[in-house]
Amino acid sequence: MSRVLVVVPAWNEARNLEAVLTELTRERPDLPVLVVDDGSEDATSSVARTRGAAVVRLPFHLGYGAAVQAGVKRALRLGCDVAVSFDGDGQHDPADIAPLLEAVADGADLAIGSRFLAADAYRGSRGRRAGRALFSAAARVFTGLPLTDPTSGLKALGPEAQRLFALTRFPDRFPDADALVLAARARLRVVERPARMRRSRNRHSMHGGLKAVSYSFNMLASLLVAALGREADLEG
Amino acid sequence: MPLRQKVVFLTIAVVLLLVIVELVRRRRLRVEYSWLWIAAGITPIGLILRYDLLVSLTEEVGAAIPTSTLFFLCILYLAVLSLHYSVRLTELTRQVKELAQEVALLRAERETRNQVGPG
Repeated sequence: MSRVLVVVPAWNEARNLEAVLTELTRERPDLPVLVVDDGSEDATSSVARTRGAAVVRLPFHLGYGAAVQAGVKRALRLGCDVAVSFDGDGQHDPADIAPLLEAVADGADLAIGSRFLAADAYRGSRGRRAGRALFSAAARVFTGLPLTDPTSGLKALGPEAQRLFALTRFPDRFPDADALVLAARARLRVVERPARMRRSRNRHSMHGGLKAVSYSFNMLASLLVAALGREADLEG
Repeated sequence: MPLRQKVVFLTIAVVLLLVIVELVRRRRLRVEYSWLWIAAGITPIGLILRYDLLVSLTEEVGAAIPTSTLFFLCILYLAVLSLHYSVRLTELTRQVKELAQEVALLRAERETRNQVGPG
C-alpha cells in the first residue's frame, strides 16, 4: 500500500471542517489527513486536531495556493507517494479520492477530479460556468491536453507533481489552470477522473462580482505567464 | 539660469546627496539600493552646473522647453523607481511565503516528534 496524505486547505472553515473531516475519516479511515490552517481566526486548527487530523498552521493568511503548497511540501518531506488536495469547505466527496489514487497508481503524475465527467453534479451559477468554460478552453490551448475542469481543487499528486507544486516559483496565487500548464510543460502525465462537486456550505466566494472580473484577468494572465515562462521556472 | 536659482537648487541637490550618503553610512539604506538615489542626487547637480547639457538634450529629444525635459526625466525616474519597488516587493512576498510555510512545517514536525516521545 502506497503512502498517501490528504491535504485539506482551510481558512476560517471551523464550521464546515467538522463535517468534512467526519465524512473523510468515515469513508476513508485508512488515509491520514493533514489540515493546512491558512491563518484562520476561528477554531479551524483545534477542530482539525480533535478530529484526529495533523495540522500545519500557517502564521498568517497566505491564500489557497500557498496553503495547498505547504501541505504538498509536508507530503514531500514525509516521502508520500501521493498527496491528495481536498477542499475544506465540503464541496468534495471522499468517494472520489479512490479513482484518483488508482490513476496515480496506474502511472499518472497528476490526477484531477472533474465535475464535468460526472453524470450528476453541482455545476455552479451561469457566471461560474462561463468563466470555467473560458479557462478550460485556454487551458486546452496552452497544455494541449483535453482537460474539462482545470480549476478543480480535487487533485492527486504523484511524487513528480509534488516536486513541481513545491517549487519556489510555483504560481501560488491561482494554482489552477496555470499549474496544469506548468505540469504539461514539465511533461507530467495529467489525467482526469469524474468527481461529484457539491455546493459548499460556507464559501468565502472568490467568484462574485468585481472579484470575478479580477480573478478572471489574473487567471488568464497567470496562464500566459505559465505558458511563456522560462525553463528555469520548472526547476528552481 | 540665474545665479539665484543656481544657488538654491545646488544647495537642495547637495543636501539630498549628503542625506543619501549618510543613510548608507548608517546602514539605514542598503548599498545596493543607494545607486538609484545617488543618481537622483548627482543628476540635478550636473544639470545645474552644465545647463547647456539640458538645453542640448531638449533639442535632441525635440521638446519645446528645457523645463518639460526636466519634468519628463523626473517622471521617468519615478516610474523606474516604483518598478524597482514592485520587483522587490514580489521577491519579498515570495520570501515571506516560503518562510511562513517553513515555520509552519517545522512546527508541525516538532509536534509530531513530541507526540512520539523524546528520543
